[in-house]
Amino acid sequence: MDPITALPKLLGAAWLIPLASFALIVFFGPRMGKAGAKAGWVATGAILTSCLLSLFALFFVWLPNYKLPGPVEPHITAESRTGDAHAAGEHADDNHRAKDGHAGSKEHPAAHGGASHAESAVRPITGDWYTLGKFGELKITIGYYIDSLTVLMFAMVTFIATSIHFYAIGYMHDELHDVEDHEVRLADGHHLHRKGRFHRFFQYLSLFCFSMLGIVIAGNMAMVFVFWELVGICSYFLIGFYIERKSASNAANKAFIVNRVGDFGMIIGMMVLFGTLGTFSFGDVDGQPGIFSLVRPGADHQLIVPDGMIKAAAFEQIAAGVEPTAEQIAAWRADTAPGTPGHWAYWLMIIAGLGIFCGCVGKSAQFPLHVWLPDAMEGPTPVSALVHSATMVAAGVYLVGRFFPVFVPEVLLTIAIIGAITLFIAATIAITATDIKRVLAYSTVSQLGYMMLALGVGGWSAGMFHLITHAFFKSLLFMCSGSVIHACHTNEMTEMGGLRKKMPWTAYTMLVGCLAIMGAGVPFSLGLSGHYSKDSILAQALSFRAVNPMYGWVFFVAAGGAAITAFYMFRLWFMTFAGAPRNKHVYDHAHESPRIMYVPLVVLAVFAVAAGWSTNTFNIDGLVGNFGVEPLLEQARPLGTSGEVHGVLMNVVHPDEHDSHLDQFHSRAELVALLTGLTGLGLAIVFYGLRILNPEEVRAQFRPIYDFLIHKWYFDELYNAIIVTPVMFVARRVAEFDQVVIDGLIHGVALWTRGVSVLDDRFDRYFVDGLVNGASRWIFRTAVWLRGAETGQIRQYVMFIVIGTVALFLLISLYTSTLAG
Amino acid sequence: MESSYVTLLSLIVFLPAAGALVLAFFPRDKGDAMKTFSLVVTAAVFVLTLIMLLPGKGDWQFQVGVSDMQKTFSLPWIESFNIYYFMGTDGISFPLIVLTAFVSMLSMAASWPITKYVRAYCILFLLLETGMLGVFLALDFFLFYVFWEVMLLPMYFLIGVWGGPRREYAAIKFFLYTLLGSVFMLIAILMLYFASDVKLLSDEQLAAAHVIDASLPLEEQTARIGELRAHAGPIHTFNILALQQIGQHTEAFDVKILWGKSLQWWAFLLLLVGFVIKVPSVPVHTWLPDAHVEAPTPISMILAGVLLKMGGYGIIRICYPICPDAGYDLAYFVCALGVVSMVYGAFAALAQKDFKRLVAYSSVSHMGYVVLGIGVWSAVAGNEFNADAWKLGMNGAMFQMIAHGISSPGMFFLVGVIYDRVHHRDLDKFGGLFAKMPLYAGLSIGIFFAGLGLPGLCGFIGEVFVTLSVWNFSHALAVVSASVVIITAAYILWTLQRVYLGPEYKGPHPEALTPMTSREVLIAAPLLALAIVFGVYPQAIFNYMTPSVDQTVNELATWTKDVKAPRIHDEATAAMPAPAAIVAQQ
Repeated sequence: MDPITALPKLLGAAWLIPLASFALIVFFGPRMGKAGAKAGWVATGAILTSCLLSLFALFFVWLPNYKLPGPVEPHITAESRTGDAHAAGEHADDNHRAKDGHAGSKEHPAAHGGASHAESAVRPITGDWYTLGKFGELKITIGYYIDSLTVLMFAMVTFIATSIHFYAIGYMHDELHDVEDHEVRLADGHHLHRKGRFHRFFQYLSLFCFSMLGIVIAGNMAMVFVFWELVGICSYFLIGFYIERKSASNAANKAFIVNRVGDFGMIIGMMVLFGTLGTFSFGDVDGQPGIFSLVRPGADHQLIVPDGMIKAAAFEQIAAGVEPTAEQIAAWRADTAPGTPGHWAYWLMIIAGLGIFCGCVGKSAQFPLHVWLPDAMEGPTPVSALVHSATMVAAGVYLVGRFFPVFVPEVLLTIAIIGAITLFIAATIAITATDIKRVLAYSTVSQLGYMMLALGVGGWSAGMFHLITHAFFKSLLFMCSGSVIHACHTNEMTEMGGLRKKMPWTAYTMLVGCLAIMGAGVPFSLGLSGHYSKDSILAQALSFRAVNPMYGWVFFVAAGGAAITAFYMFRLWFMTFAGAPRNKHVYDHAHESPRIMYVPLVVLAVFAVAAGWSTNTFNIDGLVGNFGVEPLLEQARPLGTSGEVHGVLMNVVHPDEHDSHLDQFHSRAELVALLTGLTGLGLAIVFYGLRILNPEEVRAQFRPIYDFLIHKWYFDELYNAIIVTPVMFVARRVAEFDQVVIDGLIHGVALWTRGVSVLDDRFDRYFVDGLVNGASRWIFRTAVWLRGAETGQIRQYVMFIVIGTVALFLLISLYTSTLAG
Repeated sequence: MESSYVTLLSLIVFLPAAGALVLAFFPRDKGDAMKTFSLVVTAAVFVLTLIMLLPGKGDWQFQVGVSDMQKTFSLPWIESFNIYYFMGTDGISFPLIVLTAFVSMLSMAASWPITKYVRAYCILFLLLETGMLGVFLALDFFLFYVFWEVMLLPMYFLIGVWGGPRREYAAIKFFLYTLLGSVFMLIAILMLYFASDVKLLSDEQLAAAHVIDASLPLEEQTARIGELRAHAGPIHTFNILALQQIGQHTEAFDVKILWGKSLQWWAFLLLLVGFVIKVPSVPVHTWLPDAHVEAPTPISMILAGVLLKMGGYGIIRICYPICPDAGYDLAYFVCALGVVSMVYGAFAALAQKDFKRLVAYSSVSHMGYVVLGIGVWSAVAGNEFNADAWKLGMNGAMFQMIAHGISSPGMFFLVGVIYDRVHHRDLDKFGGLFAKMPLYAGLSIGIFFAGLGLPGLCGFIGEVFVTLSVWNFSHALAVVSASVVIITAAYILWTLQRVYLGPEYKGPHPEALTPMTSREVLIAAPLLALAIVFGVYPQAIFNYMTPSVDQTVNELATWTKDVKAPRIHDEATAAMPAPAAIVAQQ
C-alpha cells in the first residue's frame, strides 16, 4: 500500500472512530442495554478498532515501506571525547560559531557521519484535512504530520487504551446499578444514593481517546492546541466523574485551571510563531514551508533564527526604510550583540520555545505546575491509568519531542533543569505518601521529569523511549493499584498488607511493574523495559555533563532519583502485598479481581517487560530485520538534530545523542543505574520488606523533613497564599470598584444633576415665577384701583374717551413733530 | 432589481413594526394568541433572512464571496438635507442580521412566562426588532441614527415595566448611558455631515459609494455626475459609504478644530464613546450588569445577543473607515480599551454572587475581544504594511460577535430557566442540579463551555483568532490578553461547580426543580447546536464574512501605506531640524 495515501486514511479513521463512539453514547447511552451496560462495549469496540487500524498501519504499511535503521553507533571514537579538556578546547570555536548568530550543529568527519542518517531519514507525510479559517496568507487548519513516531504513538495509545477499556468494564461495574457513595454525606446525615453512570464514563473515555489521538496526529500547532484543550476538558470530566464529591470537583477545577496557566504560556509561544513565521504547520504542506523547514532551511538542517523572526525583530529598522533583502537579513542574523535585531530575534526563538514548553509544563505536570496531578487521582482508577499516566500527561513530553527541532540550546537547558527539579521534588514526596494512587501519581510526575530531563540534555530518542516504556509499566501499575482498591475499598496503604495471598495476579503483575520502573536488568545483557530507557537517559545526562560541567548536577539528580524511585516503589509493593495484614476487616474482604480486569494486567505486564527490546537485543535482526521501539524512534529523529549544538546567549553545548552510546558513558550509566536501583531496593527491603529498621523511628528522627514532605513541600499552601487569595482579592476589589467608584461617580453625577434641577426649580418658582406673579399682582392691584373709576355712568365714560382720545392725539402730534423737527 | 431589494429589506425591517400594528387589534384577553402571533412574525423575519442565507443566485439571495455592498437601494427621504432611505448589506452586516432575526425569534419564544400587559410587551418587542434590524441595514447615517433611537425607547420600557425589583433604576441607567452615547454620536454625525462634500470624490468613488446608481445607463450616470459637479457650494451627505470614501481619499475631515486635533479625531472619539457604551467597554459598562439583572430573561437575551453587537458593528462600519487617521492614532487606545475590558470583566465575574450578574460580566469580558480584534492596526511600515494579522483580528472579532450572540443569550436563557423555578439567583444556594435536571445541566455545561472558549465550540474561534492577531500589534497587550484564558476558566468552572455539581440543592423551593419543558429545550438546544456547528465549521460564517472584512482592512492598509506613512514621515522630518540647520546653528 502506498503509505502516503494510506496512512492519513488509516490513522484518520483510527482517530475519528472514538469520536463516533462518543456521539453515539451521548445520544443513545442510557438506552444501550440495561443501565447503559452496552455503552462500555461500544466504546471498547471503537478503541479496539482504532487499535487494530493503528497496528495495521504500523506493521503492514509503515514497516514494509520504510526500512528501519540499524543499531546506533556513536559518531566519534572514544578517544575524541575524553572529557572536559576536549570540551574546553571546543569552546574556542563555539564562540566563533556563536558570532555567526546561530546555534550551530557540528558535523563530525567520522565514519558514521550525518550522511548515514540522512539516508535513514524518512520524509514525514503531511497534509491538511480541513481549514478553520484563512485570512490573507495566514491559514489555520486541521491536518496531519505522520512519521514513525506518530505511528508508534498511535499503536501505543490505542493499545493501552484498549486494555484499559476492557479493565474499566470490570472496574466500573458498580455504576451499572444505583450507587451509595460513602464519601458523600448529605445534609440529613445519610450517604448519597444516586443512579449509576456507567455509560457516561465510557462516553468521556471515547472523547478522550479521540482528543489524545488528535494531539498525536496533529500537523500543526493550532491543531495541537485544539486537542490540547479537549484532552484537558476530558480530564476535567473524568477527574470530576464523582460530581457529588466536593474533593473531586475541586480537583477537576484545579487540573483545568492549572493547565490553563500553562496554556497561557503556550498561547504566547504560538503568537510569536504565528506572528513571525505566519504558519503553524510542522512540516511542509502543499509546497508551503512549515515551521521545521523555516527554522532549519539549509541542506544540513542547521537550526537558525528564521527570516520571519529577524524581520519582526528589525521592525524599527524596516520602518525607518531599510530594505529587508536576503543579505540584510543575514547581516542582522549574524550580529547578536545586545540591542541589535539579531539579539532580539534570538530572544524571540527563546520566547517561542519557552512558551510552547510552558504548555507542556502544565500538561505534563512539571514543576511549578505539578500540583494538579496528585489531586487528579480523585478520578476513577482506569482514568488515572489512561489519562494521568500513560497518555495525556505524556502529551507534554510528546510535544516537546515533536517541537524539538525548534528549541535552541538555551530552551533545552531550561527544559532539562525543570525536568531535574520535578523529578527530584516528586520522588521525595512519593516517599512519604500513603495513598497508593498518590504514590503512583508522584512517581508519574517524577518519571515525566526524567523524560523532560532527557529531552533537555539533547537525548531526543532517550526521552521518547522512556515515554513509551513508561506508558506501559505505569498504566500497569495504576491498574494494579485499581485492582487493589477495587478489592479493599480504600486507597490507604496503611490499611493493607499481605494481599499477595489474596490477589496473586495483581501482586505479581505489579511486581513486574515495580521492577520495570526501577529499571531492573542484568547489566550488558537483558533487562526490563525501564532498564533500557533509563540507561539511555542517564548515559545522555553523563555525556551532557562531560561537555557542560556546570550543569553536571542534573546527572546526579537523575541518578539519585533512580534510587528514590526504587525505594518508594518497593515500599509501595511491600506495604500492600507483603507482611501481615494491617486491617483484618479489609484483608478478609479482599479478593482477586475478575478476569476482565486481570487479563489486561498480564498483557501490559508482558509489554512492561519487553517494550524495551528490539530484534538487535537478541541478535536476530539479521533474520527478521531490525525492529523495536528504539529503531522506530531513531527513524523519526527530527532532521538536523544529530550533531552537537551550541548556545548563543549562554555557554551550553548539547552533545550528539549518538555519542551517549560510547562505552565511557553508556557502561558507566548502566552501572550507576544498577547501583542506585539496588540501593533503593535494599533500603525498601530493610524498612518494609524484612522490617529490620522501623520507619516510624526514622520518621520521628527526621520530623521536620517528614513534615515538609508529607505536606508536599507546601506547594498548595504557597499557591493559595500567593496566587489564589490575591486573585480573589483583586476580583472582589474590581467588583467593588464598579459599584463604589464607577457607579458612585454616576450616582454622583445623577445627584448633582438633580441638585441643579432643584435649584433650577427654586429659581423658577421664586425668581421667574416671583417676577411673573409680582407683575400680575401689580396689574391686579392697579386694576382693582382702576375699578374705582368704574361708576356705571355713560357720561363719565364718554368723557374719559374724549379726554383719552385728545391726549393720544396730542401725544402723537408731539411725537411726529419732534421727528419732523 | 432595485425594487425587489426595496421590498426584501423593507419587509425584513418593517414586518415586525407592521406586526406590532396588527397586535393593537387583538382582543384584550387573548394573551397567548398575541404571543403566538408575535412569534410567527419574528419567525417570518427569520425565514426572510434564511432565504437570503441560502446559497443561490436569486435576487433575494446573499451573494457569497462578494465583498461590496449588495442588495442596495436608495430612495429620497428628506431631500433638502440629502437624507435617503438608503439600505444594503454586506458580509459585515449580513451575519448580524441573521443573528438578530434568530435571537429575536428565540427570545420571543422565551417570552411565554410574561403575563403582565402582554399586548404592550409584544408591541414593544416587535418595535425593538425593527429598530435593531434597521441599524444593521441602514447605510444612511441619519437613518442609522433614527433606528438607533427607535431601539432605545422600547428597551427602556421593556426593562422598566417587566423587569425585576430594581427595574426603574436599571432602566433609567440604561437609558441615560445610551442616550449620552447617542448625543455624542449625533454631534459627530453633524460634524461629519457639514464637513463632507460629495463633489470631492472621483466618478468611480461616487459609484462605489452608491451616490450615483451604478445600475443606471451610462449616459444617465454621466448626466447625474454632471449635475452634481455643477451644483454651487458643497453637497453634504449622510451616505455612510460616501463618508468612508471622503474619509479615506480626501482631506475633508482633516481640518484642525480644537486643541490641535482634527475634526475626524474628535468625530472618531465621539463615535467611539457612543459605540463602546453599547459594547460595553470598561469604564462605561456599569449599565450592563444592572440592566441584565433586572431585565426579564428574553430581554436579557436580546440585550446580550444583539444590542451589544451594535457597538462593535458601529466601530467596524463607521469609526475606522470614516476616520482612518484618527483610528490610526488612537489604535492603541482602542485596543487597550478592549484588553482592559477583557481583564476587568473577567475579574469582576469571578467575584459575583448573583448568577445573572456573573453572566453579564462575562459579556463585558467577551466583548472586549471584539474591540481588541477590530483595533489591531498591524499594517504599518515596520512590517511592510502586511495586513494579514489585522485581517485575522478583525475576522476574529466579527466571529466573536456572532459566537457571543449564540452563547450569551444561551447563558442568560439558562439562568432564566432556573430562576423561573426557584426564584433566586444566589450562586451559593444552588448545587446538585446535575442530578435533578440532567438535560438542563448538560445543555448548560455545553453553552458555558462555549463561553469558556473550548475548542469545538464557537467561543474558541473568535477568542483564539483575536488573541493570535495581537502579537504583531503590541506584545504587551498580547500577553495580557492571553492571560485572560486563565481567569475565564476559573470563573466559569467555579460557577459550574457551584450550580450543577455537588450532592444536593441547597436553596429554597427544591420541589420546583422540574425537568425542562419542551419549549425550553427547543430554545436552548438550537443555541448549543449552533455553538457546536460554528465551533467545528467556522467557515460557515467566514464564507459570508471574510470578503467584506478583508476588503475593509485592505482599504485601510492601503490608506496607511499611501496616505498615513508619508504623512508620518513628513511630520517626523518637520519635527527634526535638517542636519544642515544643526550645522548652521553651531
